[in-house]
Amino acid sequence: MLILTRKLNEEIRINGDIVIKIVTLSDNQVKIGIEAPPEVKILRGEVYQKVRDNTIEASQKSKEKLPQVDLTKLKVNKIKK
Amino acid sequence: MKINTNQFGEIEFDESMTIQFKDGILGFENYKKYLLINSGSDLFLWLTSIDEPELVFPLFSTRVLMEDYPHQEGFEAFGIVKLDPDPLKITVNLKAPVYINQEEKSGFQKILDEDELPIDYILFKEN
Repeated sequence: MLILTRKLNEEIRINGDIVIKIVTLSDNQVKIGIEAPPEVKILRGEVYQKVRDNTIEASQKSKEKLPQVDLTKLKVNKIKK
Repeated sequence: MKINTNQFGEIEFDESMTIQFKDGILGFENYKKYLLINSGSDLFLWLTSIDEPELVFPLFSTRVLMEDYPHQEGFEAFGIVKLDPDPLKITVNLKAPVYINQEEKSGFQKILDEDELPIDYILFKEN
């Protein structure tokens, strides 16, 4: 992994069209600003990992037998606002 | 063309039915071609990889759950379902929906920023 030292408000440029900027600094947190073309996917690492794990689990569980009840008779749990 | 599936046995299909996922599905980025199988006898659609028919994602339309679910023009939004022998433990992923355009035969998965959308949403409740 490439490691660069940056100060407040300094930037890193990737490929000319991606800019990463240190916006604020505190004891145990940094705020990072990112500018990138819309096709670049930006995600918090833990969100990416959680979704990935969930998707892999769903693919494994798709092989399970469906419950021995008629699902169409159950009530769908609609989201109430 | 033919594939052999776990769930539905041998399925014959036409190449034109293939739905392209340019970026694949998270965790399965190498699989780009899918069939969307409607078994007719359950509530799900079964997104089945053509290259690896063992790879299947049961899908549930988000429209049924929520009217104003994040929309993509021309595409229908589905949540990936995690099955369970206990129907009340079946969950649907509303955080990372799969969007499918059945006319243009293309699809993609997107992770949504909305914090209130759960990844493990309980799909059924007791009557």
